[in-house]
Amino acid sequence: MNDFKDLDLDYFAPRKPAEPEAKPEKTEAVDAPTADESAEPAERRRKPKPSRRELLNMRLSVLSVGVMVILFALMTLYLFLFPRSTVSQIENRNLAEFPKFSFASYFSGSFTADVATWFDDTVPNHDGFKNMSNSIKNLFGMKMFASTVSTAKPETDSTDNTDTSAANGDTQTTTPANGTVSNNTNLLQYAAGRVFPAVSAADEKMGRDFSTEDNSTLEWVNNLLVINWDNHWRCMEAFGGGGGTAYANALNDLQSKVGSGVTIWSMPAPTASAIYTPKNGIDYVGDQKECFNGVAEKLNAGIQSVNVVDVMKKHAEEDIYLRTDHHWQARGAYYAARTFAEAAGVPFADLSTYTEESIPGYVGTMYGFSQDTRILNDPDNFHYFVPASNYVASYYDTSFNYQYEDDLFADVDTANAYLKFLGGDSCIVKVDTQMKNGRKLLVIKDSFGNAEIPFYTNSFEQIYVADVRYLECNLVSFIKDMGITDVLFTMSAYSVVGDNADNIQNLIAQNAGETITDSHIVPSVTPKTVMPTATSAPTTTSGTDTAANTTSTGTEDTSSAKE
Amino acid sequence: MVFADLFFIYVFLPLCLICYGLAKKLSTKNIVLIVFSLIFYAWGEPLWILLLLFSSFFNWFIGILIGKFRDTPRAKLAVGGGILVDILLLLIFKYSAFIVENLNAVSGAAIPVPQITLPIGISFYTFQAISYILDCYWETVDVQPKYHKFLLYLSLFPQLIAGPIVRYSVVEQEIDNRSVNATDLCEGALRVILGLAKKVIIANNLWSIVNTFFGKDITGLSVLGTWYTIIVYSLYVYFDFSGYSDIAIGLGRMFGFHFDENFRHPFACTTIAEFWQRWHISLGSFFRDYLLYVPFFGKPRKYFGLFLVWFCTGLWHGAAWNFILWGLYYGCFMLFEQKMGKKRMKKWPIVWKHVYTKLVIILGFGIFYFENLGQLGQFFLNITGISMIANSAPFTDPMTFSSLRNNIFLILFAILVSLPVLPKIKSYFLESKNDTVYAIGRVGSVAVCMVLLAVVSVLLVDTTNNVFLYFRF
Repeated sequence: MNDFKDLDLDYFAPRKPAEPEAKPEKTEAVDAPTADESAEPAERRRKPKPSRRELLNMRLSVLSVGVMVILFALMTLYLFLFPRSTVSQIENRNLAEFPKFSFASYFSGSFTADVATWFDDTVPNHDGFKNMSNSIKNLFGMKMFASTVSTAKPETDSTDNTDTSAANGDTQTTTPANGTVSNNTNLLQYAAGRVFPAVSAADEKMGRDFSTEDNSTLEWVNNLLVINWDNHWRCMEAFGGGGGTAYANALNDLQSKVGSGVTIWSMPAPTASAIYTPKNGIDYVGDQKECFNGVAEKLNAGIQSVNVVDVMKKHAEEDIYLRTDHHWQARGAYYAARTFAEAAGVPFADLSTYTEESIPGYVGTMYGFSQDTRILNDPDNFHYFVPASNYVASYYDTSFNYQYEDDLFADVDTANAYLKFLGGDSCIVKVDTQMKNGRKLLVIKDSFGNAEIPFYTNSFEQIYVADVRYLECNLVSFIKDMGITDVLFTMSAYSVVGDNADNIQNLIAQNAGETITDSHIVPSVTPKTVMPTATSAPTTTSGTDTAANTTSTGTEDTSSAKE
Repeated sequence: MVFADLFFIYVFLPLCLICYGLAKKLSTKNIVLIVFSLIFYAWGEPLWILLLLFSSFFNWFIGILIGKFRDTPRAKLAVGGGILVDILLLLIFKYSAFIVENLNAVSGAAIPVPQITLPIGISFYTFQAISYILDCYWETVDVQPKYHKFLLYLSLFPQLIAGPIVRYSVVEQEIDNRSVNATDLCEGALRVILGLAKKVIIANNLWSIVNTFFGKDITGLSVLGTWYTIIVYSLYVYFDFSGYSDIAIGLGRMFGFHFDENFRHPFACTTIAEFWQRWHISLGSFFRDYLLYVPFFGKPRKYFGLFLVWFCTGLWHGAAWNFILWGLYYGCFMLFEQKMGKKRMKKWPIVWKHVYTKLVIILGFGIFYFENLGQLGQFFLNITGISMIANSAPFTDPMTFSSLRNNIFLILFAILVSLPVLPKIKSYFLESKNDTVYAIGRVGSVAVCMVLLAVVSVLLVDTTNNVFLYFRF
């Protein structure tokens, strides 16, 4: 290209015969492909007898092509003959479906693109290939594995809930909350109606602060933090920070519309990176405590803020966050819920009054995002806590049409363990409890809030739960017509600073002025006959098959008032 | 449709090869190729295939006119009109938004910015059409009398959407006279698999590194992190694009066409001029052969010509200022090397030559990457360490080391393959006088490629339609 010797050539003069330098690259001997030299069909035809080497070349070529065709045909047959996958457990999603043809979709190019996506996505044994692919990618570098890991601080055994059941591979086991049964002094007040946990959050000592320890296992994998604390891998999103202005504005707006009789609470849920980021990673992760404080400053007087980051840190050595999923464990939700209940001045049942159950072998979303096999091979033991008190949970669609009564805990398979709470996000749920304190709570939440709900069954007379993304009723009307006394906004830090916050404003604006009526009134919930007293509480909570018995009433009467 | 896709590999290609093999006569084979090429294009551009058909018909017709009015002023008119329309189409479909935006910015006018999605491959096939009508005019090729044969040349799916820019002269004879034997099939298939491996195993995974660091605002990124990422990005561009060229050349070979090489291990270069003789050769030679001779420059045309070529090279890569900057940046180094003179350059120590060229290339890819000029400025602040001194950005960060450690083998392997190592190994076996060594080489390369194909297939399950970078152009 820097060859200017022909510069004076007339642009419009015929150039035949072709210039020799038209293809100067051919003369370069640096690394001319050897492949091209063997094939000159025209020349070969003229030769009467092929040389020995040419004969060998042809035989090897025929052999090679034969082998390739056979292997290729086998792979193609595999793709076409075996049943196509429809669901990916690993990625926790339904795979692409074959698109419907329409002229519009065809001419936009989306039809053909979707056909290719469908073919690629629904490969037989999709998850097996996905795992294989992740194993191949492990060979790209030196990932640290647990055997070579030494964290800055030796493992401490003081936690009362280390994941032991994950290892022995039991199916759903019912384990009483170990270590807490003896601690029954806090139950003494239960019969009196106002129960506070024995230890208030404010009185608890600061626990191990992971953010002061260096951890050499910290890695960034696909924009996520992967770290090994105490011989368990954990994957978390690095919080990016944000102002939360839209969130604060929406809450302020709501406050001005609902009047003074309703208390609005804001309790953002910290994500795991607020607790488990080591000292050497802290500069790259947004400070959630500061972020939440910043949001609180933007809120008008009268809106109550509850910042639970420090409370979480006090329990950092307990199993309060899932390691393989972006959610918290129920135990983490419990500490947040307790902090809120204390601030709201409502009764609250200690964790020891609940029956702890678990789903071992749970691998959550962080594996799908990180594609890191260390996460896959170190699953979580998913815990949930079934309240001892009686309640009735009614499920409504997003426009508040009654659907059915059910448990607060859904039947789920291991891969979807977090859907245990309320069966997922989309329904509006009403919980009638045996509390008679006149407090009616509306929880506006994302999926983090789901895990808190069971812990409020001893605190509020009625609890309404609606997802910030799915509620289709006017929020102001809902609060007024349902006689709500407290509105709790509890959603993850990402929702507070991200797009979900914009949706709160939509909730206030949509269907403004509508009247909302509850089509399903639950008769007064009576306390269970085995209602805990000071002496009986520990025994009732341990060992019974509780998942069913709390709400065995009423699951059948879905026929009533469906409209 | 893209090549690095299970649907292409396991549905489209086998169907095409079977139909092609079943066709007895070459004319039928040509029809099969045209039909499959049009399906291939329409798969991604169901609407703009009309533009391809128009462009091919128009340029074919210009060729006919040139042949008919040979040696008359009308031929000059035909070739001029043809080039004008081709460039106009390119301006409308690729550059109109860019032009209007800049007009608005300069004049303060508020002309609505046209929202035209770039038809895939328009930069490539328009250039091929221009090369054809100029070659016709210069009588370096014969005018193609049959439209469908010209359509076959322009729409041939291996090279349709992302090059190389195949000259008509390269395939002129083979349109009417070509054959495929077992060696062609074998070598072609191996080349295709090699290209797929470059794209799927190396380029895709390098891209995920780049995206981790450069996918967001780079303010505050450490000095080492910036260096690390831009080196990885340079490798990524090479593997993405040369992988595509390998697939194109290999597919061509399987159908009996012999395309010219488009990449010859560009990172092994010792001067910037040599880099461009090894990088995207078909584009460089296009500008050299068709643009450098544009006659309207008068005396200082040597420099005008040079910078026009590099301005256009930059602009061809995308409708944004950073690409123009990128082209002119190379223009400056070409001029520098001309002024230095080949003899004096030769005296440089070899290490110094490599350091100089790699630095220029790597920094160049920084300009190439950042379409946002603010981020481009930040890139230079980061990479020179000015941001470290002025804004106390860190020199290094754990994220970089973590990423490097996690991908060290991939990156080292990529560097190794980007240098002319594989051809050396290949020639050791295939040029051996010993038949056993030769046979081991042949069988071994098939075995390696089948393993690569398996790995590519597995990795492709993981990525949904990761498009080639050069799609944009």
